[in-house]
Amino acid sequence: MALTEDDVRGIAEYATIALDESELTEMTAYLNDAVEMLEPILQYAAEDVEPTFHPIGDLSNVMRSDAVDADRALATEDALANAGAARDGQFRVPSILGGGDR
Amino acid sequence: MGISLDTLTAAQIAAGVAAGKFTATEVARAALSAIETREADVQAFLQVTPELALEAAARVDALRAAGESLPPLAGVPLAIKDNMNLAGTRTTCASRMLENYESPYTATCVRRMLDAGCLPVGKANMDEFAFGSSTESSAFHRTNNPWDLERVPGGSSGGSAAAVAAGMTALALGSDTGGSIRQPAALCGVVGMKPTYGVVSRYGVVAFGSSLDQVGPFGRTVEDVALALDALTAGGRDPFDGTSQEAEGGFAAHIDDDIAGLRVGVIPAFMEAEGLAPEVKAAVEGALRTLEAQGAKLVEVDLPHLDAAIAAYYVIGPAEAFSNLARFDGVRYGYQEAGCTNLAEQSSKSRAHGFGAEAKRRQMLGAYLLSSGVYDKYYYAAQKARSLITEDYARAYEQVDVILMPASPTTAFKFGELSDPTQMYLSDMFTISINIAGNGGITVPCGVGADSGLPVAVQLVGRAFDDRRLLTFARAVERGHAQAAGVPGCVVAPDFAGKGGELA
Repeated sequence: MALTEDDVRGIAEYATIALDESELTEMTAYLNDAVEMLEPILQYAAEDVEPTFHPIGDLSNVMRSDAVDADRALATEDALANAGAARDGQFRVPSILGGGDR
Repeated sequence: MGISLDTLTAAQIAAGVAAGKFTATEVARAALSAIETREADVQAFLQVTPELALEAAARVDALRAAGESLPPLAGVPLAIKDNMNLAGTRTTCASRMLENYESPYTATCVRRMLDAGCLPVGKANMDEFAFGSSTESSAFHRTNNPWDLERVPGGSSGGSAAAVAAGMTALALGSDTGGSIRQPAALCGVVGMKPTYGVVSRYGVVAFGSSLDQVGPFGRTVEDVALALDALTAGGRDPFDGTSQEAEGGFAAHIDDDIAGLRVGVIPAFMEAEGLAPEVKAAVEGALRTLEAQGAKLVEVDLPHLDAAIAAYYVIGPAEAFSNLARFDGVRYGYQEAGCTNLAEQSSKSRAHGFGAEAKRRQMLGAYLLSSGVYDKYYYAAQKARSLITEDYARAYEQVDVILMPASPTTAFKFGELSDPTQMYLSDMFTISINIAGNGGITVPCGVGADSGLPVAVQLVGRAFDDRRLLTFARAVERGHAQAAGVPGCVVAPDFAGKGGELA
């Protein structure tokens, strides 16, 4: 079943991308084309093989000791240098809950 | 009259610097002069870094003056794809999102090339966040194919390939998630290699598809690419990248090994694939003959599940891209929308206005594929197809040592020619499967096509972690082609050869 503009509006919200109305129309057409292109993959769902999530199969998570690595850690001012807004050595953001209708 | 820098390979430049024929500073100046003369037409770079190149050159010259031994690529000009961090440069990924992003540190792959003595002359243009096959999705400007300025250089590492093809640098770094090194190498007529996943560290490279991405070199000869891979793997696995693996090394030392008695696989279905240009097919047939003439045995192999590769890729790639690019929320770095009343509004507007159209498309597709109810249908199926494709390759390599196939189905296409995004995706039909399976591949140019007069190329695909032998086969193709054509291997695009860039 084809995706509607309403479906795509929901996906955009999930993806945190504020698409405008003309983008929504184009994106709906694109997603329906793309999903159609992906159709051949569905036949593999029933295959009796284990899925491969990664080309190197036996990787395990890399852990390190919970200690500051002074050589590698960015200095506060370097870590903040690319931020759009910073204050008192911290990233500055607008209100998380208030100010809007969400 | 001096000689033009673009007539020298990376190996010859390093040897010349080491022997005192010219200094690294003279090389840096020649490279910068070549860029000054050629860049207006090619537009391969997003940032040119003369200070960094001259500083690196001065370090090399000081080492030599002090009588120290020089590193293996001392004085070799290098272009770096703009998704790789290099302290002192911006790393924009060709996106408005990161237009002002200053690299906070240097990526391991870049660090290792600098440690080997390379001179960083600039950051190369690319498709935005590496989403594309033509470099047309760069937010800043297009890059023109040095062989025909009305045509694309391929992508996503189009700037890297064009810089080498136009003779502005001897080496370049690119990254390859579905063909982004091998396809532009084919379209620009240079050598480009995607090593086996894990061979080169991805630390400090902006992630696209974490189970698919791999960094690799471009050069005008197989030897130069092998020397670059030696440099990229010197020092062993990188503790900063958990997927980094120990590489076998000795890549350049083994390029001229004998291939007599080794087996080359061909896939009959590929040679009859819809959309494969006759002149590209002719190049593959020519390469087969040249390998056979050097004693290799041809064996037909079948990769029955390869039809699933494009669909599997466009599930896995966008899903991983969506996860990776979620970090661009406008808070810690990247474009930040002004005047928002809450964080959710700021994030969604920063992402809407910071990302270009293709970056939004890929993330939207990934978000849909990972959404509840859809995930099981597509994502699991794609990962099962991945198992089958990997098994296909494993079975094929019981019969052969390498597989020969096209890299790109066609020669370079015109700007705007592939305007439908899903049509563009099909241009990766021959490159995508090894990103899924993880093994290595290399594009080797084979002169120009009889129909188009544009570069044609072949691709060699190896076993996982058999990159040394892959380079040996690539060298055999190059050697055979050079002998047949009476040229010294790969050449600089004719309109640019010798323009500026004279060694004083």
